[in-house]
Amino acid sequence: MAGSAILRGSHGIWVVVVSFLIAAFLLVMPLPEWLEYYRPEWMALAVIYWVMALPNRIGLLSAWVLGFFVDVLEDSLLGLNGLVLALVAYMTLSLYQRLRMFTMLQQASTVFMLIGLHQLVSFWVLTVSNQTTSPNLMFLVSALSSAIVWPLVFYILRYLRRSFRVV
Amino acid sequence: MTISKSLFIQSSALGYRLLALVLASLILMFADSRFGYLSQARFYASYAVTPIHWLSEQPQVLSNRVGQIFKSRNDLLAENISLQEELLIQQQQMQKIDHLVAENQRLSELLNASAFVDDIVVRAQLVSESPDPFRKQVLINKGSIHGVYEGQPVLDADGLFGQVVSVEPYYSWVQLITDPQHSTPVQVNRNGIRAVVSGTPGSLHEMVMNNMTGNADIVVGDLLVTSGLGQLFPAGYKVGVITSIIRDPGQPFARVTVAPTAQLDRSRNLLLVF
Repeated sequence: MAGSAILRGSHGIWVVVVSFLIAAFLLVMPLPEWLEYYRPEWMALAVIYWVMALPNRIGLLSAWVLGFFVDVLEDSLLGLNGLVLALVAYMTLSLYQRLRMFTMLQQASTVFMLIGLHQLVSFWVLTVSNQTTSPNLMFLVSALSSAIVWPLVFYILRYLRRSFRVV
Repeated sequence: MTISKSLFIQSSALGYRLLALVLASLILMFADSRFGYLSQARFYASYAVTPIHWLSEQPQVLSNRVGQIFKSRNDLLAENISLQEELLIQQQQMQKIDHLVAENQRLSELLNASAFVDDIVVRAQLVSESPDPFRKQVLINKGSIHGVYEGQPVLDADGLFGQVVSVEPYYSWVQLITDPQHSTPVQVNRNGIRAVVSGTPGSLHEMVMNNMTGNADIVVGDLLVTSGLGQLFPAGYKVGVITSIIRDPGQPFARVTVAPTAQLDRSRNLLLVF
């Protein structure tokens, strides 16, 4: 049965889509003002997980298209999130075999660096294109909060992937 | 076997794919920031994200509804009485305003100036703030199907709130007047001195008044209202109050900070001016 699912090639891909939709909702969910700074980069976390779990299925192009919709959702510069998510997907693709072997702490610290890179690149692009962005280094705080919620994201998505046999 | 094969193929092609996507992003970003080509694409793509905006609006809608259901009769009565009193006072003030408007119109006609136009307003509700905490931008629940257009002024009960910067079918984004990207043409209500007030990075409650010379006739506490120059904001809406003036002889201009009168972090009910 599992074999036929692999042959069909798109078993349970809707789980991935739904998890991206939930990530998109979490991304714009209203939060109290002081908590805004600590909002994890949910979409990037979901991309990291799914690239790590299904590297042959979720890759650069899916990350880029997702990024396009994130830009529309957040009304940011079109292409910005596509760029940073494709970059994160690229890094994850080149790391995924190691990531799978890592302990949770090592994974979380890798996620911290990946999200930090994500934030740095988008900060850099926003600054260059003269958009409103952080006047200080507060924009890096979400890398920390993303690393903190990573274990939660990982176990929830792995549970979903296993129970719906997403391949 | 197929997996290991695809891995090696991937790692060689991956770099090129990333390069292509990075280039595509750079072109998109350039086109989006410099030209208006992509606003149509953004508009149509925003149909896809409308359900997510709708969903993020629901907790607030629900809490309002639950709040209405569980309001006690006494609370409602008390609220009704206080609202009626408020209405009475406002009506009394409106009587004077009617008279003043008529008089103003007569005087304007004597001076051959253009007539005072009464603005039409439509109520909108705030849905959420921009997920990027550094951009002072909020989402409101009126979009192009309600006639919202880009550049439309937005008010709250206490003053100018911001302007519409991006329109979706059912929602639109409003940039607050304290966003560093935003500047408002104003005049001092006391003596009519014209100036431009810009937002600042960081604080939501601070703006700066640009290019005010050290001897300009402004004092702390002066009310600033929209001047109507720039043809974006109608004249006469409250913008802010001067909170501090630093006159440094070493600097060509005084540093003047302004606090917005609008409740930028509290107002949920906003008005769109047509």
